[in-house]
Amino acid sequence: MAEEEFDPLGIFAELNRQKVTYLLIGALARVIQGADELTHGVDITLPLGEENLRRLELALEGLNARPRDHRRLGMQERLERGDEVIPFQTDKGELKLVPVPAGTQGYDDLRRRMSREYLGHGVRVAVPSIDDLSRMVGAMGRDQDIERLLAMRRLAELERSIGHGLEL
Amino acid sequence: MRSGWLIREARLRAGLTQTELAERTGRDRAVIARWEHEAAAPSMETLVDIVRACGFDLPLVLVPYDTGRDERLESNLNRSPERRLEQLLATLSSSGRKRG
Repeated sequence: MAEEEFDPLGIFAELNRQKVTYLLIGALARVIQGADELTHGVDITLPLGEENLRRLELALEGLNARPRDHRRLGMQERLERGDEVIPFQTDKGELKLVPVPAGTQGYDDLRRRMSREYLGHGVRVAVPSIDDLSRMVGAMGRDQDIERLLAMRRLAELERSIGHGLEL
Repeated sequence: MRSGWLIREARLRAGLTQTELAERTGRDRAVIARWEHEAAAPSMETLVDIVRACGFDLPLVLVPYDTGRDERLESNLNRSPERRLEQLLATLSSSGRKRG
């Protein structure tokens, strides 16, 4: 079934094709930065300007995205309502939009320390720093995130200690 | 865990600048900056005060140290981001989830 597909590169490729500005966040971003987690969804945050949202709508159309929560409101209405997460099921897997990730002031707060990582097949994705990903996990305040938070902080220590923190 | 990260994380989560945090705590901004960059470290008591000034508390608890986790993380850091994604997809695939 298409519902079970998980092709993150396909999702990124479509977002990139439509020139959407975004940052990968959440579990997949943590995995890309070195965390030892399992996930089967893509979470992103993005600037909420009109042009970027227009591009996002095109990408969602290209991915055949359907609201996972079956709400029929448009993107702008959901943003104005202050929805914390806007989940979609696409033909290439689950895609969640997080307008203002927990513990942050939104996209602009995170982009200054982001890096662009090559993920194969010509796809590059912007990912927040390990410290910023830790901040988001810490702000969730859920019991199940404590292990993740400890792992992210340890990851940051290890990265610094073996010199991976340098800009290459 | 480093005190500099905690101060920075608390400050950013509170949406404060270093100057604003310095004003709240009656300290010089340069001191806050040195702590965040780990050029100096506050005492534990001061650290708790700084974190509280950001609107958070700092409960200190002891948890088991998982050396196996360190080995896994080090192994991941030695892979490229591309390989990390491939590893995830391979694990998902082997656990029964289809890949696109």
